[in-house]
Amino acid sequence: MKCDELKRRFAEYNDGALPDDLCAEVERHLAGCPPCADLDRDLQDLQRLCRESPRPCLPEDARKRIERLLQGGED
Amino acid sequence: MLAEEGDRLYALALRVTRDGDLAADAVHDAFAAALEGLGEFRGEARLSTWLYRIVYRKAIDLLRRRGREQPLEEADEAALAAEDGGGRAAAWARPPDELLLGAESRQALERALQELSPQQRAVFELREVEQRPTEEVAEVLGIPAGTVRVYLHRARLKLRERLSPHFRGGRTR
Repeated sequence: MKCDELKRRFAEYNDGALPDDLCAEVERHLAGCPPCADLDRDLQDLQRLCRESPRPCLPEDARKRIERLLQGGED
Repeated sequence: MLAEEGDRLYALALRVTRDGDLAADAVHDAFAAALEGLGEFRGEARLSTWLYRIVYRKAIDLLRRRGREQPLEEADEAALAAEDGGGRAAAWARPPDELLLGAESRQALERALQELSPQQRAVFELREVEQRPTEEVAEVLGIPAGTVRVYLHRARLKLRERLSPHFRGGRTR
């Protein structure tokens, strides 16, 4: 597998949607290609950054408004 | 249900609209619409998927009605990037190397996300942040699963380009 093909397959690879034989080819390529390995590491870092970021909370006034709505008392 | 889903729905709406008031309105309007249409919920989808879909549509509608995308206010940006306030992992609980991906990286991420379309941001929020299955994200947005993968991949590449100094590959280049 060459870099161009890896880039085409990367979305499916990351999504676990690639057949096993192609996955193995991607992994062989990553093991021997520093620029593609950098890409893979950076995308893992991006994923970690996103998943460790705090989720914003629904503001309290909005929560109360929705609670009133669900109890049939508003809007 | 509100306690469990409220924050997740708000996070999606905020990611799409990038405006706290619009996002809260989108969640409120979505619950109102869900109450009215509860009879139409056939149970084929999960309730959370159904609510996500309604919130996504409401957020897009509100954004369109406003007419244009607004930049995220600094306060909202800081709130999104904050270390505390319901965060999933306390900064002090992580080893020093991981602190490189700290508040500064999160602020850079929020800025970079502004460059994505609302639809790409929704895909990113649901798939990358919330880790919902691709098929569910496709159902929420009403697009094919392959398109979800393409949107996500393009979003990741664009964000990587903007954030590479914060990442391991970028630090060694």
